Amino acid sequence: MDFTIVDALLTSVIGILTVMAILAIIAVLIILVSKIIRKLESSVAKSEAVIGSEPAATASAGVPMPEGMNEGEVELVGTDEKTAAVIMALVSHNSGIPLNRLSFKSIKLLDEKGADTNGNG
Amino acid sequence: MEMVKDVLIGLWESSGFAALFVDGAFLWQNLVMILVAFVLLYFAIAKKCEPLLLVPIAFGILLANLPGAGLMDDPTGLMDTSNIVEGAHWYDTGVLRLIYAGVKSSIFPCLIFLGIGCMTDFGPLLSNPVSLLLGAAAQLGIYVAFVVAIALGFTPQEAASIAIIGGADGPTAIYLTGKLAGHLLGPIAVAAYSYMALIPFIQPPIMKLLTTKKERQVEMKQLRKVSKVEKIVFPVVVLVICAFILPSVAPLLGMLMLGNLFKECGVVDRLSDTAQNALMNIVTILLGLTVGATTNGATFLKAETLKIVVLGLMAFCFSTVGGLLLGKLLYAITGGKVNPLIGAAGVSAVPMAARVAQNEGRKYNPTNFLLMHAMGPNVAGVIGSAVAAGFLLSRFG
Repeated sequence: MDFTIVDALLTSVIGILTVMAILAIIAVLIILVSKIIRKLESSVAKSEAVIGSEPAATASAGVPMPEGMNEGEVELVGTDEKTAAVIMALVSHNSGIPLNRLSFKSIKLLDEKGADTNGNG
Repeated sequence: MEMVKDVLIGLWESSGFAALFVDGAFLWQNLVMILVAFVLLYFAIAKKCEPLLLVPIAFGILLANLPGAGLMDDPTGLMDTSNIVEGAHWYDTGVLRLIYAGVKSSIFPCLIFLGIGCMTDFGPLLSNPVSLLLGAAAQLGIYVAFVVAIALGFTPQEAASIAIIGGADGPTAIYLTGKLAGHLLGPIAVAAYSYMALIPFIQPPIMKLLTTKKERQVEMKQLRKVSKVEKIVFPVVVLVICAFILPSVAPLLGMLMLGNLFKECGVVDRLSDTAQNALMNIVTILLGLTVGATTNGATFLKAETLKIVVLGLMAFCFSTVGGLLLGKLLYAITGGKVNPLIGAAGVSAVPMAARVAQNEGRKYNPTNFLLMHAMGPNVAGVIGSAVAAGFLLSRFG
């Protein structure tokens, strides 16, 4: 069977329409699925916010900052912010003093020799 | 003395120089192809034109055209029954011919798609789903080239394989050609990858011709953030929809979406890393080498090859036109909110086509940043060309 130009033209028209239709269906599906997912995510976020609001209220009702005091600045020597935050949290936890009542002036990494001496001493 | 003479004659007869003369005919085509290999190696190494692909392809051309080396010999007729040798075993087959089985069986293109899936971020597409239409419109060149190829006397299978060059997607072109017209694999693969490398030269004049300065200056509003769940659901949904409508698209799209799921799900980082790095590199070497090796001088240097090269260029140009025209339509419908230049990025070739749209946009508005907007149609083009290939395969396979 000969495949004529007319056949080729028809095949081409059907072909491009098929591609357009399939990709249009995918586009519509993306819009629908996105809407559903965003709705679900926002409802989950809302319920999480309700659960999380209690501890947040407790935290905000914690010990207020004494008058005339501010959060201040901590000098970090050889320590990154993440480690410093962990150290401050540990001190607060172990001492039982809330963080906003504690004042850190500096957090310094001791050198190997010093650390060793301290450890042995 | 007689023995020395015999040894020397034997050496000459087994040499590549003697192999250049078969039954009194001089195989000049092999020498021309060796020169072509040198030129491609020069472009790949000195000019850095798609070197990751062009170096193995060029070297494959060189290896396949070395007279007497027999790297693509097929004495048992595994894939080519024209030169069957009585009593030959499968292990007598040329080493590149054995590796070529990965192309012929579509293993390599599918594995490449797995790696591409791992490297592709569908976020820009998900935040602007209209991009999919641009990716679809940019397949126009495939169908225009198909009609012209039929008019030039190619069979429907050959015409479909040539036309898919317009999809600007190497693995898709190799996949479809391997299924429909294996004898054209060499010229089609070389043309497809060459034009992909030449996109920065092919597209800008067409963009300039079809758009106004005002359109090129349009700034698009920032895309919304896409959630992780959306990105995980996307590959599964797309695969199911496409494979139900066009089952022939499942191998390519299935691997693309599997790779993307590896990337997005976040629980198989090792698999994702392997697919997009080690596996992708290994398959690229094997694919490039064997595709290059299909360009045997005697079969490659024909008027037919020249027609394929011209048709491929035409397909590329019309695909760009299709994307731009739909971009202009969206510009008109949205009241100037869509920059038509991003339509040209619908011709797959990730991320080169998107970069071209970005660069052209900035030429006319230095504060414009179209890259992420162009990435949407760009990755949509990958899906679009796979669907187009699936359609042609279901029609002519």
